[in-house]
Amino acid sequence: MIKNREKTGIVLAGIAIGVIASLLVLFGNPVNMGFCIACFLRDISGALGLHTAGAVQYIRPEILGLVLGSFLMALLRKEFSPRGGSSPLTRFVLGFFVMIGCLMFLGCPFRMILRLAGGDLNALFGLLGFVCGILVGVFFLNRGYSLKRTYKLPVLEGAAFSIIQVVLLVLLVAAPAFIYFSEAGAGPGALHAPILISLAAGLIVGALAQWTRLCMVGGIRDLVLFREWKLLMGFLAILVSALICNLVLTAVKAGTFFTLGLEGQPVAHTDGLWNFLGMLLTGFGCVLLGGCPLRQLVLSGEGNTDSAIAVLGLAIGAAFAHNFGLASSAAGPTANGKVAVLIGIVVVAVIAVANTVQKKQA
Amino acid sequence: MTYIATFYSHFGAIRFKRLCRDAGIPAELMPVPRNLSSSCGTCVRYGGETPCPAAQYPEEVEQVVAVTGKGYALLFRAENG
Repeated sequence: MIKNREKTGIVLAGIAIGVIASLLVLFGNPVNMGFCIACFLRDISGALGLHTAGAVQYIRPEILGLVLGSFLMALLRKEFSPRGGSSPLTRFVLGFFVMIGCLMFLGCPFRMILRLAGGDLNALFGLLGFVCGILVGVFFLNRGYSLKRTYKLPVLEGAAFSIIQVVLLVLLVAAPAFIYFSEAGAGPGALHAPILISLAAGLIVGALAQWTRLCMVGGIRDLVLFREWKLLMGFLAILVSALICNLVLTAVKAGTFFTLGLEGQPVAHTDGLWNFLGMLLTGFGCVLLGGCPLRQLVLSGEGNTDSAIAVLGLAIGAAFAHNFGLASSAAGPTANGKVAVLIGIVVVAVIAVANTVQKKQA
Repeated sequence: MTYIATFYSHFGAIRFKRLCRDAGIPAELMPVPRNLSSSCGTCVRYGGETPCPAAQYPEEVEQVVAVTGKGYALLFRAENG
């Protein structure tokens, strides 16, 4: 009975999130990018001057809302739990390379679903790589991989990341000269919904994701480990609802919300191999982190400082990706980006092996 | 009585299940129920006369609850956890 109620809840949350993601495009976000944790963290890195790619600089209210929505929902449910100390620097490195994988593919797992809902078939290569990466991660989980236990922390430590989001919100609204914003027409960073709409969307999705524990990596991991569909059904619901919403918007509004095919897809490239490898790195790294980038934000809001460190790794990874020419563009992946993804796969594999208890020792 | 134990790692759950099995206690791995925790890790649901299948709880155990008609009753929580 409780299990069925949980399933219904997660599907309804998924439907709501899919509709919100689609509507954010209607209100001004880039096409197929109603939400993208990787892209939006990259935009925030740019806005703070950590990289200088003028096309992708904006403090995305969706990210701030996700963390604060999770924080508020956790408080409401008495689940706010300040904790940390589980190999934070290793998590930073994993977050860094997860971002390198995401920016090779041009999107996080969440955007991968939204790209599919927009008809972008390149995302299928990413999905295949993502699943393979998760399977590799699960291989290590079953053989003893662990980043060791977390410990209880003071309330202020657990709330610090949410407080930082409020500071970012003030910077967004005040727009002081030292914050960089993409100029109109410069690229995806210049395309955004109004602040209040984006913030409200983030708050709602953050609260729903905290309530349902929505996680793309967790969904596939649970299916593999336990034949449990519950978490994955949330993402299937996002896919279906965003797809229907995109088709309806395409029928009634001017503008492109759904185009089926490989070529000419918005903020995407057609190199199948590197879409696959980028998301393989992402899936592998996310299993070792214990959740996808969306889940890391939600856990940060709940007071998990290890996840906050992983998010900082993602943000710094984005800055490096643009400072060193690692991020792909519509023209395709770069040579530097390919080398970085291969290095990332090796580094993540080394972390997996180094933190895996051999069965003989167990 | 039925108990649920949650862990700091997936492998901690695997080892605990093995511990139960060696003690002749029926046990199964499953995702942590949402109404028990906001964590999305792996737990072990097991039976038995006592909630601890060994001399003491292994260090990977985060918490142990008894499944009651009204929900869960906390029996053990790791120190500083």
